[in-house]
Amino acid sequence: MSNRDLTAPNGIDPRGPRFGAAITSVLLLITVFLGLDSATEAAGFALLAVIDALFLVGATLGNSRHPYGWLFKKLVRPRLDAPKELEDPRPPQFAQTVGFLVASLGLVTSAFGFEYGVALFAGFAFVAAFLNAAFAYCLGCQIWLGLRRLGLIRG
Amino acid sequence: MSLETKLAILLGLVAAAAIAGVVWRVRTGRAKSVKPKSGAADGPSVDLRELAAIKDGELVTAFGSATTFLQFSSEYCTQCRQTARLLSELEQADDSILHIEVDITNRLELAKKYAILQTPTTLVLDSRGRIRSRIGGAAKPNVIQEEIQKASFEI
Repeated sequence: MSNRDLTAPNGIDPRGPRFGAAITSVLLLITVFLGLDSATEAAGFALLAVIDALFLVGATLGNSRHPYGWLFKKLVRPRLDAPKELEDPRPPQFAQTVGFLVASLGLVTSAFGFEYGVALFAGFAFVAAFLNAAFAYCLGCQIWLGLRRLGLIRG
Repeated sequence: MSLETKLAILLGLVAAAAIAGVVWRVRTGRAKSVKPKSGAADGPSVDLRELAAIKDGELVTAFGSATTFLQFSSEYCTQCRQTARLLSELEQADDSILHIEVDITNRLELAKKYAILQTPTTLVLDSRGRIRSRIGGAAKPNVIQEEIQKASFEI
């Protein structure tokens, strides 16, 4: 190995965040469904608020201390083979931050009267969570370098 | 909004995400050849002094005799480790191959110079350090083998 950051925290099983993303994507799809109708919009808002709070837990405490991370460790991982390699926990944690921002935008725009705020931003978050769960594509990680190059985030 | 409309929107959302995922899967990890600019005899090449890459605790001062894989990584990278493992295994099996990994997290001038938008991005260099091709995303083993084959035809 060359000049890889030796201060990097211990690796995590990459399937953990994907398992969490699978649950999140199902919840987000339900949120979109609820958010599309004025009769169920309040329920969609409440569900998105719960998802948003869970994103905040992931963003601040990391995936391993997230309820889904705990579920993965207790229920899923014992049934799987050992992972081929471990993953740096910081990229998925950054992705949780991105998820938190997107879901918060849905709540805020909806609170300010945008009828489809919940459905629209839950839809964006769904695409990201689905790509992560089904294709191991980490949108948050992909845009990290671009944001950094634009000077929007520090290292 | 009718139930049919809502279900159609959900279906469209899932389909769009699935198509995006498939397109990404197909496109990622492919090698794109780098041609010299029109009029120039040589294509762009890598300056090792500017790169100042460290490998096994020492400054890299020479290219591999056949092929050098210059892998740009970052802290927020889910797939850098698997690409690094693949390339370092090949390097160990073949003396003419060199694998260099550079963390660009705090070296954004390199990201700018080589137009890197995602990590890992791997540049395939010939024996003189000229960039033959670039691979965006996790390198696929068969793509890497093709690049090694191409180098053997050139010598």
